Amino acid sequence: MDVTIKVNGRERTASVAAETTLLSLLRDSLDLPGAKLGCDVGDCGACTVLVDGMSVNACLMLAAQVQDRDVTTIEGLGDYDHLHPLQAVFEQESSFQCGFCAPGMIISAKALLDENPKPTEYEIREALSGNLCRCTGYTKIIEAIMDVSGQSASHADSKSA
Amino acid sequence: MPRFGMFPAAFGLFDRGSTLKPFEYLAPDTVDEAVAILTDNAPDARLLAGGTDYLVELKHASEVPKVVVDVSGISEFKGIELTDKGLRFGSGVTHTEIMESDLVAEHALAMQEAALTIGAVQTRNLGTLGGNLVTCVPSVDSGPVLIALDAAVTITGSKGIRIMPLLDFFVGPRKTALEPDELLVDIVIPKEMLGRGCSFRKFGLRKGQALALVNTCASIDLDAGKLADVRIALGAVAPTVIRAVKAEKLLNGKAPSDDLFAEAGDMAATEAKPINDFRASAGYRLDLIRTGTKRVLAEALERAPR
Repeated sequence: MDVTIKVNGRERTASVAAETTLLSLLRDSLDLPGAKLGCDVGDCGACTVLVDGMSVNACLMLAAQVQDRDVTTIEGLGDYDHLHPLQAVFEQESSFQCGFCAPGMIISAKALLDENPKPTEYEIREALSGNLCRCTGYTKIIEAIMDVSGQSASHADSKSA
Repeated sequence: MPRFGMFPAAFGLFDRGSTLKPFEYLAPDTVDEAVAILTDNAPDARLLAGGTDYLVELKHASEVPKVVVDVSGISEFKGIELTDKGLRFGSGVTHTEIMESDLVAEHALAMQEAALTIGAVQTRNLGTLGGNLVTCVPSVDSGPVLIALDAAVTITGSKGIRIMPLLDFFVGPRKTALEPDELLVDIVIPKEMLGRGCSFRKFGLRKGQALALVNTCASIDLDAGKLADVRIALGAVAPTVIRAVKAEKLLNGKAPSDDLFAEAGDMAATEAKPINDFRASAGYRLDLIRTGTKRVLAEALERAPR
């Protein structure tokens, strides 16, 4: 079947099998490998993208379900020369190490900040509870989000994660 | 498909990109179309709503159905509204929509407490109330509150519409009263249950992405200072959600007190049949029932209109 979606502001069409996931559509057909294939069952959040502004696990949607909808991936936020403020602050604060979780973390953070520009630390933790990081830990990620939302980020406490 | 924590990720190392097997995808716009598709293809058609459980199940299934029927675009399954019967949830309402609904906050706050414990933001944005109920795992998080508030479900199929208490809809683990050609249309909390004192508590190993070890919910009325029509629902401690009817009976007609609530918690534990598994022992689950029941009763009392 042909699936047409608006991805990162551009209309794109691909011909895929019915059982293709949104994640596979993005990565394998549309050359957008930013969203990652991690657990493939909706636990790790590495494949998080926005569909009509709402964060979802791209591994848990079929490509057919996003027909005519608006999808934003990490590639839609910024590029090397013009980083999105969230990308820039993650870099400044050394918020990621291997980087595998970072696209999902940043997309989840964007979904949070779009709705709630000044979240509390608790709200950030709640908003990121569907995104797993296995190397850096969460402290620096939370600090980055506090920082970019114009809040002091000195006391993120990893113990209460 | 039960969510075995991070195990699928470990398997994934050896089974990279083992995704979905071929099926036909249909996305009807109306309930009637969906019923027709199910009738024509039963039992080789299955419904897809939010997909947070079912797509996971399909990825791990050795056989997939011929037809997957996506019901997420059916408008009759949308919306939360107050009707002359009570508070109606379309089966396709997402957990996020429940959490953000002013109507739910006003009339059935415990539904929001339960929704918040489900999965994480991404899964709550996709996952639906109907899907949660139809999947019908013993730990179903939406079940206890709806049963403590005496909810009824509307089912439609080729033979017409039927309405039944949610308690009867849950038949066993992963087994509901739905026939292969039937769909869950809506869930209604009856008018007389709205606004009563009700509290929900889930015990999991952590807050995010956790299955319940024990779910507890209580709803109460007060009649001249005495407890009336108490309903206690327990989840993850028996094949389906159960009501602790002996504990309810113990409470009805008595003046509330901490001692009485503790006694009810002990009684509720005698009514459950929890299992030992890798998440918790049966003994620990019994302790959680005692503690949880006591706490939700106390909180339901605080919230009860006087």
